[in-house]
Amino acid sequence: MVPFIGILLALLSFGVVATMFSSEKTSKTLASVFSLLALVVVVAAFFYMAQTGSMNYTENYSYYIMQPSISLGFQFSPISFVLVLMASIVSFVTLLSGNVENESRKISSILILLFELAAIGLFTSGNLFLLFIFWDVGVISLFFMIYILGSSNRRRAAVKFLIYELFASLALLFAIMLVYFYTPLHSFDIQYIIANAGLISLPVQALIFSSFFIAFLINMPVFPVHLWLPDAHTEASTQGSMLLSGILTKFGGYGMILTFFMMPIAAHFEVPIAILAGFSAIYAVFVLMTQHDIKRIIAYSTIVEMGIILVAIASFNQFGISGAAYGMLAHGLTIAMLFLAAGSIGHMFAERDIRNLRGVVRNALSTSYTFLAGVFATTGVPLTAAFIADVLIFIGAIKTFSIYGAIPLAALLLLGAFLYYVVNKSILSTSEYSSNPRFIGRSQKAGYAILLSSIFIFGVLPFLLLNFFSNI
Amino acid sequence: MYDLSMVLVYGIILLLASGMASVLIRKKAAQLASSSILLALIAVFSMFLLLTGQNATIAGMIAEYPFSLLFVFLFSITLLLVNLLSYKYSSDYISFSLLFSFAAAGAFLVALSASLVTIILGIELMSLPTAFMIMINGKKFIEAAVKLFILAALSIAIFAFALALVFPYDPSLALTALTPNAGIAGGTIVLLALLLFIAALSFDASLFPFNLWVPDVYEGAPANITAMLAGVNKKVAFVALFEVLFIVLLPLSAVFSLVFQVLAVVTMFFGNIVALVQTNVKRLFAYSAISQAGYIAIGFSAASLYGIEASIYQIFAHAFMIIGTFAIILWLESKNIKTIDDYAGLGSRNRIAAFSLTIFMLSMIGIPPLMGFVGKFLLFTSAIDKGLLLLAVIAIFNSFLSIYYYAKVILSMYSKREKSVIELDWAVLSVAVFCLIAIIALGIYPQPLINLSQLAGASLSSLPV
Repeated sequence: MVPFIGILLALLSFGVVATMFSSEKTSKTLASVFSLLALVVVVAAFFYMAQTGSMNYTENYSYYIMQPSISLGFQFSPISFVLVLMASIVSFVTLLSGNVENESRKISSILILLFELAAIGLFTSGNLFLLFIFWDVGVISLFFMIYILGSSNRRRAAVKFLIYELFASLALLFAIMLVYFYTPLHSFDIQYIIANAGLISLPVQALIFSSFFIAFLINMPVFPVHLWLPDAHTEASTQGSMLLSGILTKFGGYGMILTFFMMPIAAHFEVPIAILAGFSAIYAVFVLMTQHDIKRIIAYSTIVEMGIILVAIASFNQFGISGAAYGMLAHGLTIAMLFLAAGSIGHMFAERDIRNLRGVVRNALSTSYTFLAGVFATTGVPLTAAFIADVLIFIGAIKTFSIYGAIPLAALLLLGAFLYYVVNKSILSTSEYSSNPRFIGRSQKAGYAILLSSIFIFGVLPFLLLNFFSNI
Repeated sequence: MYDLSMVLVYGIILLLASGMASVLIRKKAAQLASSSILLALIAVFSMFLLLTGQNATIAGMIAEYPFSLLFVFLFSITLLLVNLLSYKYSSDYISFSLLFSFAAAGAFLVALSASLVTIILGIELMSLPTAFMIMINGKKFIEAAVKLFILAALSIAIFAFALALVFPYDPSLALTALTPNAGIAGGTIVLLALLLFIAALSFDASLFPFNLWVPDVYEGAPANITAMLAGVNKKVAFVALFEVLFIVLLPLSAVFSLVFQVLAVVTMFFGNIVALVQTNVKRLFAYSAISQAGYIAIGFSAASLYGIEASIYQIFAHAFMIIGTFAIILWLESKNIKTIDDYAGLGSRNRIAAFSLTIFMLSMIGIPPLMGFVGKFLLFTSAIDKGLLLLAVIAIFNSFLSIYYYAKVILSMYSKREKSVIELDWAVLSVAVFCLIAIIALGIYPQPLINLSQLAGASLSSLPV
């Protein structure tokens, strides 16, 4: 058995250190190479697991702390593998082509690699303690990413982001410590908790569940704790936004799935959670319609999508969970592509307001069509990955919540309608057009190609991954 | 097999001798070399004794067992760091050196004590020279020195009174468990003695409400002495608390657990809330050090072996964090950079200083995988382990509160770009890098230190796990 996760984490840690000691010029190339190698390892792991036919696989190393016993245990499950795959693709593209603004390459390369390390570590951690550690490493690296690189108001946004996220992480810490002391054998191990959390008394379970729930709700984010997201996304650099929306919000989604698996009491809260999530999605669409900044619009679409994913998680059945996981894969890739295109537009035209942007397609062909494809992929047009995800999500939701489960579909339709309107009005209109002083390089186009092709691969060939979901 | 028990004592005597000799020889560099080598040898040797399982008592006064040896190890390292800083920044290093060697001997004596008398001697030997170490730097430091002197005298007086109260129960004053009922007036006198012990040691440990002097003295003293106050003297007080509470007054563990719950909560809140409005960075870290003392007190309120272990780990963590922090503050103060606004642009003026200060602060907040996180994690879990759920919640909330003022400093450092580079000197650089490496390495791989703390905790007290 090849220790894929160990190799991945070692490779990325080595990459972080190597990038730290590299020069300003070589840092980007070096970091991209390490990220590409990580992607290769993930793909190799996929083929290996496709051969063995199962994605449930664990790796154990020595102890982190002996008493309370915290082992360095890692695991792949179908859900976590899907997210690792998404995270490694998005990080690689972010490193390769996200640096549209051509700012400080070295610091951002280090932080992106560190964040990739944190994301992969988080999705593969076999115990909650490691999950918490990687969570905080990821949050801190993205905080610096926003704080150091970004537009003029970035500092306020970064601090807001940090305060929300660290509050979430402290809630998470509290929940983890409670779980540890109330499970019969005192363990952080996720598999053990899933098997034994039913033995915890109900009031304590409710406390643990609500603590987890608050932490992950902030991170996802869902109304009413979503306020950090629009600011952080708008003010961050293109790279920062890609990672924030593409990967960071999935921390919360993944954690939420784990919470539902771990805490049997979650079954009592399915309906209120689904109502909250559905409301959040619909609310976010209406807020989105009043926005003019193209990055802000995309940022709000994240809240819509994550709300729908939370509905799927709350439905908590085979379809819902695999739909949520697949939805996070699709959303991560799509949103990263949209932010890359929006960042490129902002860079080329020095303008992100949809009221002033006209006829982008005239001077920026590839960017415009990528953006258009991204809009299609967001709304779940067939042959894109989001289509498969949406089908699964709504089958799951209708199974649990009967016909009411389809209500969030309205949010998706409204989102699609408004995005088409935006595209039509500001990107595809040819009657008048803005002139662009700058152009984008080849690396951005390569990024478009990678993200676009993966969106279609997972849309056309969903069975590649979904076959493994048959027994979760 | 040779009897090695006296070697450590000889080492401390040699340290004292070298301090006194320095006054006659008056060679700064030679004195730095001799005291540093001696401290390093004491560190290595105490670790050696610890790992070989040394267990000996000398003349009923000095005891070498895992707990004392672990803290001799910590103090020798932290004192070494302070010594390095002071060589560069003390205005009169020769006089400093004499006083320093006495203070160091006092710190070691407290760690090694086998009797309550040794503890009071050690504390006296340590805190009075510290006051003079502040004073020799010039007239403007006299205020801080006098404050420290008076409070040291007060705390010693209270300690002596408490000593008198326990004398009837055990005239030998040895560090053994008292039997409260054997005495004259039942349990009440012992109870009073317990409270007086806690009060006396809370001055140096900076627990509320005995910590009102801390910000003034920390701010008023030169930063190298502040590093010593926060990194050594405070830890010595905690060691004395360990010895008094978990050995002598162990039968009253339920009572002092309650006292420390209250102390921990009010100290954390006091430190964190007042720190929120500070603009002077040194004063801010004085309050931060107070709140950290509150976290360490959580381990005492758990009153379990696990709590002791967690407190010991956090004492190590905080010693490295705070000495590293004050090293950088010392260096910036010499460049007349004092307030948070002055710190703006430090990130571009000196990367290493800004980066290490950031890591120290992240560690104080409790961000994984740094040492401060592991310490806080152990402390909070030790509280939950004993059912003190509310205490853990309050502590977590306090960690959240503290983000605000640490973030203010971090954000200021990275806020604007400045062209004028300022260079670190070797002393500050070596201290900061040492602390940085310790915090990151022991955060990523904490098990060795946790093992040692477990060993030390088990040797200290016969509490159940």
